Amino acid sequence: MNQRSSESRSNGRASAGHSGKWRLATVVLALALGAFGMALFGGGVWLMALGGSWYYTLTGAGCVITAVMLWRQRFGALYLFAVIWGLTLIWALWEVGLNWWGLVPRLVAITVILLLILAVSPSLRRAPRSAA
Amino acid sequence: MFLSVKCRSALALAVSCALQVQIAQAQGMPQVGSDWPFYGGDHNAQRFSPLKQITPANVGRLERAFVYHTRDLPNPGSRYSPETTPVKVGNDLLMCSAKNILISINAATGKENWRHDPGVPDQAIPHAAACRGVAVYTAPEIPESAQCRSRVVEATLDARLVAVDLRTGEPCKDFGQNGTVDLWEGLGKKVPGWYAVTAPPTIVNGVVVTGAQIRDGQDEDAPSGVIRGYDAVNGKMAWAWDLGNPENVHGPAEGSTYTRGTPNMWTAAVGDEQLGYVYLPISNSSIDYYGSNRSEEENKYSTSLVAVDVKTGKDVWHFQTIRHDVWDYDLGSQPTLLDFPDKDGKPVAAVLLPTKQGDIYILDRATGEPLVPIGEVKAPKGGSVEPQFLANTQPTSEWHTLRKAPKTEADMWGFSPLDQLMCRIQFRQANYEGYLTPPSVDRPWIQYPGYNGGSDWGSVAIDPVRRLLIANYNDIPNLNQLIPRVQADKLGLKPIYAPKVDETSLNKAGSKSGKGEGGASAYPQVNAPYAISVNAGWRNWGTGVPCSAPPYGGIRAISLDTGKTVWDEPLGTARRNGPFGIPSHLPLNIGLPNNGGTVVTAGGLTFVGAATDNLFRAIDTATGEVLWEDVLTAGAQANPISYEVDGEQYVLVSASGHAFMETGTSDEIIAYKLRK
Repeated sequence: MNQRSSESRSNGRASAGHSGKWRLATVVLALALGAFGMALFGGGVWLMALGGSWYYTLTGAGCVITAVMLWRQRFGALYLFAVIWGLTLIWALWEVGLNWWGLVPRLVAITVILLLILAVSPSLRRAPRSAA
Repeated sequence: MFLSVKCRSALALAVSCALQVQIAQAQGMPQVGSDWPFYGGDHNAQRFSPLKQITPANVGRLERAFVYHTRDLPNPGSRYSPETTPVKVGNDLLMCSAKNILISINAATGKENWRHDPGVPDQAIPHAAACRGVAVYTAPEIPESAQCRSRVVEATLDARLVAVDLRTGEPCKDFGQNGTVDLWEGLGKKVPGWYAVTAPPTIVNGVVVTGAQIRDGQDEDAPSGVIRGYDAVNGKMAWAWDLGNPENVHGPAEGSTYTRGTPNMWTAAVGDEQLGYVYLPISNSSIDYYGSNRSEEENKYSTSLVAVDVKTGKDVWHFQTIRHDVWDYDLGSQPTLLDFPDKDGKPVAAVLLPTKQGDIYILDRATGEPLVPIGEVKAPKGGSVEPQFLANTQPTSEWHTLRKAPKTEADMWGFSPLDQLMCRIQFRQANYEGYLTPPSVDRPWIQYPGYNGGSDWGSVAIDPVRRLLIANYNDIPNLNQLIPRVQADKLGLKPIYAPKVDETSLNKAGSKSGKGEGGASAYPQVNAPYAISVNAGWRNWGTGVPCSAPPYGGIRAISLDTGKTVWDEPLGTARRNGPFGIPSHLPLNIGLPNNGGTVVTAGGLTFVGAATDNLFRAIDTATGEVLWEDVLTAGAQANPISYEVDGEQYVLVSASGHAFMETGTSDEIIAYKLRK
């Protein structure tokens, strides 16, 4: 942080470009996750109506909220999604145990999303944020 | 004359070999060992080789001895699934290519001795061009040096029996019309591709027995499923077994045909020289998914194993595996003959029957009485369009079944939560009450196991030394739905005999299907109130990824003494499979759809290709562990064989790919032996 502030003081232009890229990445991730979450939520409601699992509705809603937080550059997105990931892990193990192929659709995508949020997290704001 | 069996070391093997040799000598039957004289190995179709040069210890040194190219490759727009298994007699391998070119090659070098092309037109190709094998017959009454004393007999896609001399490939002039017998006789109007033979004929007591595959789901008024026997020397029809009309035993009356639309036999039968019976694995009626219009006779025999006396052409007994079949649970596997203990523990001559449902039955060969306990399960009727037609209960084998527990929503699959969710929705929308859920029209129904088995035409193998049954099997649901006639007409579903307006490779009259018939296809079922849409393998919309979680296929060893599983492993790796048809290159064992069987050797190995990963592998028969594999250019959806030349053991498989299994196209026949 310190290093970055000093950089920003010495070269404001470059820093604006740098954080701009991160910002763009976060926005893209937010949009993608938002679309993914809405699809999960929509399909999930349909599945619930058919008497199926509630997981997809809940996770879809969680993903949409995470996406909104990412859009607003909130660091809390990471915490929320880590909780979603943890609950997903428990659910996946409950549904299929240690069946490796059964875990693929349940854990791979959600783990990739977690890693992406982790990757952009240094650029997220820890609220409330004091002025730099 | 073919008695060059190697019987060494292990006492059990020595004893069993000695017995086999005795029996074979008594019958004068060609013996498996150095040769592979029958499609199924020996006359019992056990797919077992007594050879033991290649063992788990040295199989790592197995390498290609030669690759032979049949040079029979598809023209643009043709579908090929050659499924070829040669026989080996003396120094020669005898086989047929996908479009029935008869070929003899040197078994040690792969050099071609001769070929005879009967000139089958592309039009005659049914779902795909296939020729699983040939039969070799030696006529004792013909002098040793005469032409066609030993002859190679095949039945073709364009419905002919063809016999050629084993040494020269010249047509046998004494057989039919210059070596050919027309099988269309008595079947009615000729529609190429509707009636086509893909299985090897079975020769019992000098009678060539053949059925045919009849393209599924076209019309209730389809060519007859009649089974016919022909004199192996002169090609004259000995008898016809028309299950709909026993009066047709010497052919139908002038101007009429064998009973149309009846269940056929598209797979290989097995012959019993001693009893003079041929055991016919009969399919379902021509319209698979609707039964109310079927005759009493069809209901009596469909999906049954039928013993027919080859002297009279009359059926002696039959054993039905499904009553009023509306699931396309054709009997697809060649049955296997073996000795099996009766209730008092006394071994009796038995026939073992694998099924698509996974149930394995063992019956007394003379009477058809089961030698294993038969159970009954209650069959669901919910959602059926013809509940009054459905049987209340159905038989199961309490000795062994390959069938697994019904699918649940949690068994739905995909590569991501999104495609998995799509499948879970489809699962909840479908009509499903477990095994034998009947066809429905208001919504799709899940059929599990699907029509590819359980066991299909690859059948099972017997290891008499280790007392094991080796079964590779499929474990895949289908998602099907009946289509009301009005809607079927709107979709433009046309039977195979309809004028072909817009025929392309992907849109043939007869069915609407994507590439391969894996995935969605629809059949018109003319004269039934409904057409049928079949999503084979229940592939997801868009991605093509199966909706059910792996494994999709496995290989299992079952104790012949207890009927219990000894080991059970997924068969096939993920290397060639992935979403949108993109190979994942993952070397992980996943368990894939597989077609084509195994050869089990006395050396302790089970050789099998079959799976859609295009690998050919050697498995330790004792443990199920894969010890050796070879990467093929196209899938080995064919039964491998083993034989010996000049003291060297060979293993051979045709790796020619398969249209339905989507494993590429090739014309390779590959032989392996140990590196010196």
